[in-house]
Amino acid sequence: MSPPPPAARRTRPPAGGRVFGALNVLGVYGLVGGLFALGCAISREFISPDNLMNALRAVTLLGIVAVGLAFVTYSRHYVDLSIPGIMALSGTVAVWALKFGFVPSLAIGLAVGALVGLVNGLVIGYLRLNPIIWTLAMMSLLSGVIRWAYAGRQIYPDKATAAGRAFLELYHHRLLGLLPLPVAVLLAVAAGGYFLMRHTGYGARLKLTGSAYEVARLTGINVRRAVAGAFVISSLTSAAAGVLLTSFNKVGAVYIGGGYDFRTITAVVLGGMTLAGGRGSIVGVLGGVAAIALMNNVMSLVRVGQFVLGDFQQNIVQGAVFILVVGINSFARRRTGGDDA
Amino acid sequence: MTTRRTAAWAMAAMLGAIGGCRSEPAGRKAPADRAEALKQSLAVDVSGLKSADTQPLIIMDETPLQPPPRPADPLKLPEDDPLHWYDMEYAGWRGRKVNLPRSPGDGALGKRVICLRHMDHPYTTAYTRGMEKVAGACGIRLKTLTAGNADVNIQSQQVDQVVNERPDLVILFPVDATAVVPMLRKLNQAGVPIIASNLLPVDQGMPYVLTWTGPDDWGQFRMLAREFAKRMNHEGGYCIVRHMPGGSPFFSRTFSVVTELKKIAPRMKCFDMQTTLLEAEKTAQVVSGWITKYGAELKGIVSADDSGAQIGINEACRNAGREDIIRVAAGNSKVGMDFIKAGKLHGITYQSAEADGALPMKIAADWFNGKEDLKPVYYLPKHVITAKDVDQYMPAQW
Amino acid sequence: MTPSAPAPTRAAARPPGRARPFAKAAAAAYRYRVYLLCTIIFAVMGAAAPHFLTPGNFSNVLKGTSTNLPAAVGFTIVLIAGQLDLSVGSAMTMGGILVMGLSPSLGWAGAFGVAVLCGLGLGLTNGLLVAKARINSFIVTLGTMIIVYNAMAIYCRGGTIPATTFALSDFLQRPVVDLDPRGAPPALLWLTLWLTPRNLVSLAVMAAAAVFLRRTPAGRGLHLMGGNPQAAWYSGLHVDRYVIGAFALSGLLAAVGGAVVAAGEAAGSLKLGENSLMTIVAAVIIGGTSMEGGKGTVVGTTVALVALTALINGLSCLGAGHEVQLVASGLVLALIILYDAYWLHRRQRRRGQRKDLLEELQARAASDPPAGRGSQGAPSAPGPGREGRSHG
Repeated sequence: MSPPPPAARRTRPPAGGRVFGALNVLGVYGLVGGLFALGCAISREFISPDNLMNALRAVTLLGIVAVGLAFVTYSRHYVDLSIPGIMALSGTVAVWALKFGFVPSLAIGLAVGALVGLVNGLVIGYLRLNPIIWTLAMMSLLSGVIRWAYAGRQIYPDKATAAGRAFLELYHHRLLGLLPLPVAVLLAVAAGGYFLMRHTGYGARLKLTGSAYEVARLTGINVRRAVAGAFVISSLTSAAAGVLLTSFNKVGAVYIGGGYDFRTITAVVLGGMTLAGGRGSIVGVLGGVAAIALMNNVMSLVRVGQFVLGDFQQNIVQGAVFILVVGINSFARRRTGGDDA
Repeated sequence: MTTRRTAAWAMAAMLGAIGGCRSEPAGRKAPADRAEALKQSLAVDVSGLKSADTQPLIIMDETPLQPPPRPADPLKLPEDDPLHWYDMEYAGWRGRKVNLPRSPGDGALGKRVICLRHMDHPYTTAYTRGMEKVAGACGIRLKTLTAGNADVNIQSQQVDQVVNERPDLVILFPVDATAVVPMLRKLNQAGVPIIASNLLPVDQGMPYVLTWTGPDDWGQFRMLAREFAKRMNHEGGYCIVRHMPGGSPFFSRTFSVVTELKKIAPRMKCFDMQTTLLEAEKTAQVVSGWITKYGAELKGIVSADDSGAQIGINEACRNAGREDIIRVAAGNSKVGMDFIKAGKLHGITYQSAEADGALPMKIAADWFNGKEDLKPVYYLPKHVITAKDVDQYMPAQW
Repeated sequence: MTPSAPAPTRAAARPPGRARPFAKAAAAAYRYRVYLLCTIIFAVMGAAAPHFLTPGNFSNVLKGTSTNLPAAVGFTIVLIAGQLDLSVGSAMTMGGILVMGLSPSLGWAGAFGVAVLCGLGLGLTNGLLVAKARINSFIVTLGTMIIVYNAMAIYCRGGTIPATTFALSDFLQRPVVDLDPRGAPPALLWLTLWLTPRNLVSLAVMAAAAVFLRRTPAGRGLHLMGGNPQAAWYSGLHVDRYVIGAFALSGLLAAVGGAVVAAGEAAGSLKLGENSLMTIVAAVIIGGTSMEGGKGTVVGTTVALVALTALINGLSCLGAGHEVQLVASGLVLALIILYDAYWLHRRQRRRGQRKDLLEELQARAASDPPAGRGSQGAPSAPGPGREGRSHG
């Protein structure tokens, strides 16, 4: 936070620059590789395809939401705390809308989520309110509205109708009999996100908006629209994940999506995206998600006699690793001459 | 100016919304003559009421209470000794009472009762439904407050509010069995009669309440453990998915199983017990980790919840191709009963939410009518639902 | 900027010399918005909710406020310094559980001491990681929040720790001047019922923090550091020390708050500080502290916390469900920040416009006859126009 002393100016690359340079490039995938090696060392069952598939399945929905949130963080708007509310709302509305048919219900669920994202984007992008506070207020509103609309009940897809049965099967559906639908959605969303961020004008505009808002504005970029778009993207992915999660839970309820807000920002930041905006990539975010999956998996496989790592201990390790990795990331970036995040 | 106009509209809307949510619910006015009021109140008969799953609404377990002798210091005993949990399991059985208020003895018509619930959940919605049925029949005015999302501080504030409002009786559904003890004491010292409900406060809190009603969490999980052991042929390894930390089912739905199985099936071994916050995804991840780690030695899983957590368990078992794992859970939600019908779940405890809500209200009405010799605890009947009798309990209450 | 066709601003369009009606009132309303909000809530709830305007209920509202107040004060201090501290809820939980858990072996004084020291330690850790390791405060405090909560869960094994006696809890909850609620005159009850040691501790914390922020050089330096770190560095302040100090204070105060709550409730529960973070953030923002740092008052936070607690309390008196309370508090927060943004927007629009000069020129143009191309009425509006509204 403190500015560098004005006099000293570096004339040669800083010491250890090459090591940290490599660290920068490897990024989170170094961590993933390390966890992989650790897993193989700890347990024989780690390397089995079943185990790895389980690890992947646990974070598929997290990955979908993380790709969307990455856009918000990329634009220097920190985080979208209303993600759990959007997930619950889309899922519950989708179940309610099953009476119009299966595909219309999905469309309505996604549309409702996108609408919330649009409101967020308009308020934060055009009225320039602080994203953390506004999304906090929106989360409160959403959870109150959902509870009120359903009077504390949870609603079930009706198994007697074809639409209801299709909805219940949605999460377990396999495309071409092979690829689970959530994984397919994750791949599609990730590919789309990567393309959007790297190879379109919108991505370039978002990068400049995130790195230097005033410069972007003066260059003529419609910064407000770019920021609003980021929030809409985030809410769309949250809505998709919410519908899938509701299908998994077989019920539309207010507690769907709980905990996702902090878990997602953990994945995004772990993957190399800095909170200062303008830096990072979808590939990194996927790496962050994979790192979380592997960390959970490795820790749950630890078995030394009677000693196992309980839930509380695993969370502590996750929190510590989180701080450590981000610290190393930003240190490495500073050492190689980049700005500090 | 538009700003002022908008502000005026907003103010009007707010006042309208506030006016709209006033909910001092109905209740009949009592006749002025006390004897007449009592006679009318005694004439009310609620035994015919039914809950949404067509079972009777007012049910209770009539077996007599015979607690074992209390050890000198239960907490010094090891955790797998059932007497370690004495103060939780047999709370209130010995029936000492302190400073109990006397019944007014003029009937239940028009009396004001406040119900403090622990959180918003489909179970508590059904619970309040059952309570309102009985309250409506007896002519009692019921106001229901919810302690946020199982927030101990909010329940404490609501207890203060109740002390300020002085209703005729309070039905308290504690957020936490230990933290509720000072709250019960406060209500007792203010002279407000209390009936505790569903979650059994620890023994230190029981002298302050008139009585407690609710499901026998410890007892019915012991019954479930016996069914579990039978299906596992009294041998094999098992794991337990625990309830949320900071509440009492975290202990009651775990250690009742552990201590019971240690007694009746010493060859069964508990490998692990974890809390997954009852989330489906997290449970799936944890259970698939267990299956990978313990392999074929893992033969059974006990769950503290038959909806969210059970979905995760069944998902993990299905993905690993381990449908042979014996699964039991605490019930009974629609999701759980559907699993029983599909054969993916082998036993759940029967816990009628509406009966859980109706019983304290019925006891309160009896107390208003003058019945002061109440039992120390009133348990709901225990039962384990299996595929044989699951259809009797449909449609599900929640 | 080259002068383009004049776009007469609103100020120039009005006939000169006439003051805008309500301008002073509107400005005062903005400056004291949090007091205004508090008054409105009390008025509305007092009119609509039964039992709201009673001495007992007022005491309950203040008790609810004092639960979160020390942690909110700490959060305000950190926010003024330009950082975020998400670990206040977990620090409260830590204070509460440590006090309850250690009191049998160390006695109350010892347990309080250890709890406070641990809070201080947590704050120092946060501060060091933010200042020296240069990690973003959002990340650091998110991580420490998770670590502290789970460490406490391991310590108390997932259960709640009860107090061994009720003596301390009774002492903390009983009013200093203990009158019989049924016998005493209401006026006296209004004054004395809420003066409990528990509330007094929180008020003392608030007063000390207010004095510190306003009157001491360190406090003023904190404002400068949050508002403009570059200027602070150039003027010789040890910026790192201020950051570390702010976090240390926050951790300490949150632990004190949690310890007092747990001692007052005679139980240390894991859920003590669970929902505190959101309430505290809402109260701090409503109270006028800016998210960018450098601006804010502890008194504002306190009044905002009272307002929010009164809102929830009033809705509870009405019997409204939890969902209504959620929507109400979300709405209040949203409305306040929208109001803030609107006011900021108005101020930005007027920035740089020399209103009196414009009015003078308008007057002159109105009185002189138009003289062809030379004079086109008012010169180009120096205001920045629509795009001038940059993010605050």
